[in-house]
Amino acid sequence: MIDPSIQSAACVAIEAAINTALRYDPGTRQGLAGLSGQVLAVEVSPPGAQVYLVPGETKVSVLGQYEGDVSTRVKGSPQALLALMRSRQLNLAESGVEVFGNTGLLIQLAFILGALDIDWEEALNDIVGEVIGHTTADTIRRTLGWARERKQSFTRLLGEYVTEELRSTPAQPELHDFYSQVDELQLAADRLGAKLEQIRKKRDQDRAAADAAALDNFDSLDPNSETKH
Amino acid sequence: MSQQSDNNIKSQSDTTHFGFQQVKVGEKAGRVANVFHSVASRYDLMNDLMSGGVHRLWKRFTIESAAARPGQTILDIAGGTGDLTMKFSSIVGKEGQVVLADINDSMLKVGRDKLIDKGYVDNINYLQTDAQFLPFPDNTFDCITIAFGLRNVTDKDTALASMLRILKPGGRLLVLEFSKPSNPGLGKIYDTYSFSILPRMGKLVANDPDSYRYLAESIRMHPDQETLKQMMEGVGFVNTSYTNLTGGIVALHKGFKA
Repeated sequence: MIDPSIQSAACVAIEAAINTALRYDPGTRQGLAGLSGQVLAVEVSPPGAQVYLVPGETKVSVLGQYEGDVSTRVKGSPQALLALMRSRQLNLAESGVEVFGNTGLLIQLAFILGALDIDWEEALNDIVGEVIGHTTADTIRRTLGWARERKQSFTRLLGEYVTEELRSTPAQPELHDFYSQVDELQLAADRLGAKLEQIRKKRDQDRAAADAAALDNFDSLDPNSETKH
Repeated sequence: MSQQSDNNIKSQSDTTHFGFQQVKVGEKAGRVANVFHSVASRYDLMNDLMSGGVHRLWKRFTIESAAARPGQTILDIAGGTGDLTMKFSSIVGKEGQVVLADINDSMLKVGRDKLIDKGYVDNINYLQTDAQFLPFPDNTFDCITIAFGLRNVTDKDTALASMLRILKPGGRLLVLEFSKPSNPGLGKIYDTYSFSILPRMGKLVANDPDSYRYLAESIRMHPDQETLKQMMEGVGFVNTSYTNLTGGIVALHKGFKA
């Protein structure tokens, strides 16, 4: 069992992160008000920890304990829950995550969580005060920065392997060339269409003029015409 | 009545502990008061330094365990600088009421000023009182908390019984207090920290090593987890339980009034 102090620390950090993100997103915050009174329980197993997300009017509370009724319960491994949270589309099929109750709450909260950009220092200051918070946040920032670089580097290497070695997908420059060619083709087609339209209009005008001239000639040849020459 | 209570009543006629010292029962409250008069102005800062900020997590766990709801009436005994009161004030809202009680007027003033400065004025009342003789009618509160205060009370059984009396039936008491680390290795490290580092820190920051030595000693003299649970049951609390926090350095005891 996780020591409740550690679980509380995790809850404080998540709560501060969510609410810091919400502070700079009035639109989402406004949407949050509609979720007030509902409770999402997240059961992470292993290690069997439970966290409760309780949306309020302007912020979300993240609790380690909650004694009231729960609107939605989500169960899954840490990996499955993280993957679900990171995915752009909330697809529960074969995600390894079980959901009970109102899935609408989960979708809306996942949208809020998806827009997070965590201010670790502010989050930690709430937990351990400013002195220790700054030092710890600095360490986390550097560690996350390193991890992010490694992730980018890994993503680049993986991309190169798939495109250059396996030739499974076209390289990015090739795709750009292809898209440029498609754009040029579309522009040429548009220009051709406009030109054809112009020709068609001119042809119609010429025909109309020719018909009018022929009618005039016909009138001048009529013996019953009042016009005397 | 429990054996523990018998022992306490017996000791009232004689001496009680003040840290590792034995003092006359009538003297303990005055001595404890002097300690807290001395540390009041820097109490929050020292708490952060002494616990590495973890006291905030212990208090947060206590707030969650209270399961407070809007409109409830809550008593925060030995509330000191108002950390729990502040959170409860937000939870119970304007329809509810929080009473911040402390025997020490210096601590109470620091807590009151802090809360007013932060804008918590709607639903908080302040009361200087002894936890053994709580001046409220029976069945008044939905929840009572006492965080890091019970070990300084002269007669703990009397205080617990007083709390039980003013709780509503179904109401809960939460006692957050230093306790006995469950891991012997952690216990040794904790001892070294408490008796060597803590008083030096107290001298450095608050220029008051004696008060912080008392804090360390009083923690060692406080009943361990099981003993305190039995004491709560002894005065009439039901469904009692406790949760060890940070390896048992602190424990949160919970009990209900039937």
